[in-house]
Amino acid sequence: MKGASRYLPAIPVLLAYAALFGYGLIFPGQWQLVAQLAFYCALGQAFNLFMGMTGYVDFGYVAFLGIGTYGMAISISGLADKGLGLGVIVIGLILSVVFAVLLSLAVGAVALRLRGAYFAIATIGVNEGFRYLVEGARIWNGSEGIIFSRQLRDAVGQEAAMALSTFWADVMVFGVAVIATVLTIVYMRGKIGYALAALRMDEDAAKVMGINVTRFKIIAFITSAALAGALGATAWAVKLTYVFPADVFAIHYTVEAIIIVLLGGAGTLLGPIVGGLIYGVSKYYLAVYIPGFQLLVFAPVIIVVIVMFPEGTVGMIKRKCAGTAFAKYIL
Amino acid sequence: MKKTTFFALNLLAAFFCVATAFAADLPQKIVIGHPEALSGAQAKAGEQAVGGIKAVIKWVNTVQGGVKVGEKKIPLDYKYYDCESKREAVTSLLERLITVDKVNFIMAPYSSSLTLAGAPVAEKYGILYMDHGGASDKIFTQGFKFIVQTIGLGTRYHVGTLNMLKKKDPASKRLALAYKDDEFGRSVMEGAEAHAKKLGYDIVFKRTYPPTVNDLTPLLSELKASRPDIVLGGGHLADGQLFTQQMADLGIQTKAFSLIAAVTLPAFQNALKEKADGVMGPSHWELGVTYTKEKAQKAGQAWIGPSQDEFVKLFKEAIGKDLRPEYHAAEAGAAVLSLVLGIEKANSLDSGKVRAALGKITFMSFYGAWGIDETGQQVGHDLIDAQWQGDKLVIVWPEEGATGSLLYPKPAFK
Amino acid sequence: MILEQLAGNLFQGVVLGTVYGMATMGLSLIFGVLKVVNVGHGAFIMVGAFTSFAVFEYLGLSPVFAVPVAFGIGMALGMIFYYSAIRRLLKGPELASLLATFSFGVILEEAVKQLFTSDFRGFNWDLGKIDMGFTVLPYAKVVACLGSIIVALLLYLWFNRTRAGMAMRSVVEDSVGARVCGVNVDWEYALSFSLGIGLTVASGVLLTMFISVGIHPYMGGEYTLKAFVIAVLGGLASPYGAFFGGLVFGLLENGSYVFFAQIQGLEPFAMTRFFSFLILLLILLLRPTGLLKAK
Repeated sequence: MKGASRYLPAIPVLLAYAALFGYGLIFPGQWQLVAQLAFYCALGQAFNLFMGMTGYVDFGYVAFLGIGTYGMAISISGLADKGLGLGVIVIGLILSVVFAVLLSLAVGAVALRLRGAYFAIATIGVNEGFRYLVEGARIWNGSEGIIFSRQLRDAVGQEAAMALSTFWADVMVFGVAVIATVLTIVYMRGKIGYALAALRMDEDAAKVMGINVTRFKIIAFITSAALAGALGATAWAVKLTYVFPADVFAIHYTVEAIIIVLLGGAGTLLGPIVGGLIYGVSKYYLAVYIPGFQLLVFAPVIIVVIVMFPEGTVGMIKRKCAGTAFAKYIL
Repeated sequence: MKKTTFFALNLLAAFFCVATAFAADLPQKIVIGHPEALSGAQAKAGEQAVGGIKAVIKWVNTVQGGVKVGEKKIPLDYKYYDCESKREAVTSLLERLITVDKVNFIMAPYSSSLTLAGAPVAEKYGILYMDHGGASDKIFTQGFKFIVQTIGLGTRYHVGTLNMLKKKDPASKRLALAYKDDEFGRSVMEGAEAHAKKLGYDIVFKRTYPPTVNDLTPLLSELKASRPDIVLGGGHLADGQLFTQQMADLGIQTKAFSLIAAVTLPAFQNALKEKADGVMGPSHWELGVTYTKEKAQKAGQAWIGPSQDEFVKLFKEAIGKDLRPEYHAAEAGAAVLSLVLGIEKANSLDSGKVRAALGKITFMSFYGAWGIDETGQQVGHDLIDAQWQGDKLVIVWPEEGATGSLLYPKPAFK
Repeated sequence: MILEQLAGNLFQGVVLGTVYGMATMGLSLIFGVLKVVNVGHGAFIMVGAFTSFAVFEYLGLSPVFAVPVAFGIGMALGMIFYYSAIRRLLKGPELASLLATFSFGVILEEAVKQLFTSDFRGFNWDLGKIDMGFTVLPYAKVVACLGSIIVALLLYLWFNRTRAGMAMRSVVEDSVGARVCGVNVDWEYALSFSLGIGLTVASGVLLTMFISVGIHPYMGGEYTLKAFVIAVLGGLASPYGAFFGGLVFGLLENGSYVFFAQIQGLEPFAMTRFFSFLILLLILLLRPTGLLKAK
């Protein structure tokens, strides 16, 4: 495939995000739901960038979201009285991404030498270990966390703070989702995509062929982590204005990311948004109509889906559309 | 059309317009919305809170006939969802309650973290946000204008306990503090430490333990070595049970032992049987507290709501099981009562007006005294200390509300 | 004084470690044979804990009787889960089986919550205790420790002395060769999975002998994480390794407490957790097959 047509599959995804965004703007009182859905999609998209292309499951992924949250929290709470206005948000984002990248380098140094279940467990080790280090050494206030609503208000003013927490943070989440999508397709269509596809099929064979597997793994890993950091900074720090280590290092977010990616189709471009929407919408309505029982219904459904549709929704669609005109829009 | 018919029709139309406009000011029901946690970590507390709210709503509707606004008495209605103890679900469910279900007021989900998660959205919509399960003082230093607290501050939990012990035995000064390392545990520890220093206690041991602990032996061995007279600590039910059992296992005998949030729950004694004997805990409410209408009148306070027995009966009906209401239920129920009084005083359903009215009222109910300061923090309500004596939970402090006397020193673990 | 505390902690650590180790054997067995990581591990331990509670509270019997009951329940659950889902996912990506086992865990948690409510249960099984000078040891813990050792021995005998056990080992070494020899590989997989689950649920009972309070539907998560660390310590695929991994883990966690307690400004308990995960990472880095020599 040559030229711009390689990037056609990005169009349905970006359209879907635009539609979701538009829905939230047009219909009153739906924005928080849209924000929650956008979070799931962004989470899936960022997670899929590494997991989809390499097949490695980073079970400690939430650590990057967590450290990203802290990056923003530190910026807002520390710089609130320096008169920087919205600059604290910008600095916070930069800090979050930097922290996430640094952590990913540390994790990568250990974990990326491992494979399969060992890799998964090593990443859990990093997540939990880091969380207990924060709590045990009382870093960043330890388990008391940082609550910075007041400081955000002081930094940017009452109106702006409210707008940030209830709207602009979510817009930024959409931004992260879009960036993740773009990066995913650029990688997938680039050298790194082919290298990682080879790795996914047979890592040893790829190495023997002379492909610098390690370098590409690291690039994908760092990118995925950086996106997670930005996501934590926006969806968790700016939106909720508080951070407790127990919340932001909670393993269930990684599990949610896995579910979303699997529902949609691991390794596909469209998958995370489809998965995020299915997951988010089902959860929401289950919580509304059968409060207290949702998980009992949802968990078996997940099992059924994994057993019957292991390639996920988009994987199935891709198969059905192979050879038709749609095929070049679905990745 | 004849002139008179035309005129009559117009008059009729105008009449309907005016009538519906007038009726539209006052809705048929006042709806309370609640994005509570019914599964996940806060499931138990959430379930209790929902039961307590349902019980009080039933009382308001049947005994009082509703909430008095203007000339009418409007019944209360209740809509709740399950946020699964997840922060991100709180915001979307909260917005749904406000915009789709068009509730008038909101009860926050249980726990400081979840309460905080919903605060910005509640603030944006300018809707009253009743905090019945978030004890963190930091909630009230953030400048939120619509949060009203019914539960008390974490820092005060062990203050009464220390006062009681100091009065009973001023000579025993060796104090050990061992709390769960989370927001709540730490705030209690902070308050206890500060107050203990004021009272002249010697803090011989001060440690925290991670929230998901399943073996406290290393910490307790260290505690044993410091030979304390009094041990204060805890966090929530699971670690409270563990703490007590392992204190008994290691044979750590003390003169007094008080844990937060765990001891006064029936499950504590059910699990530990004799090991619970003599163990104490502070609480906002326990079955057996003696707040009555007469007491309120004597203290010159307004009284509202069901009596304790009525509350228990209504709670069991609401939950559909023969389950005892615990303090989570009472806190939530009392929050509803405060809301009722606030609406009646403000004579309006506007959140801003009700919030202002709440700042001016104090009252007493089956839950005890109630009164907030200008930030919305609860300052009127006092904690009680209760102690297991055999299989009975006896309220030992404050003296005016006690149902029995303090067993001191604590009976030894066998 | 410190030495006494250290000695006490280390001793308690070994006792607790045997129970932890036994609790992890199921995880390692399932991974060793089927290459599936049971992410819902903790939930099965929780089922065992509730079994123990129910037997004690409703039947009035000591938890010792609950062990075979729990084992039976575990085998049944294992069979159900294997034939309904795991079987079909063995050839797929690891992700699928991870998610499936996680979902099983969730289903168990919610089902138990519906049956028993989310309240925290416990019971009191007091057999008295021994005062050993530097530490105090309740007899219930001794029973738990002995129970774990006995189960580990039984497993060893089963694998090495019975035909069924040897058939299972053959499947691990060479599934194609085993098939050629007439071993029903699918049945062996089912059996291994169920055996692993059975062990895990039974370990839940032993755990309640150790700590008989705090039993509630969501108690499992913490144990899953610990189990991962222990399994890696012992070599992910070896059940015996898991047992010894548990011992080492118990020693490390408890022993390091005394060390961290000496440093000001730290919370020793959280630091011991950090320390155990640090060890996990070091082992993965230096000796991924675990501390023991390859099986």
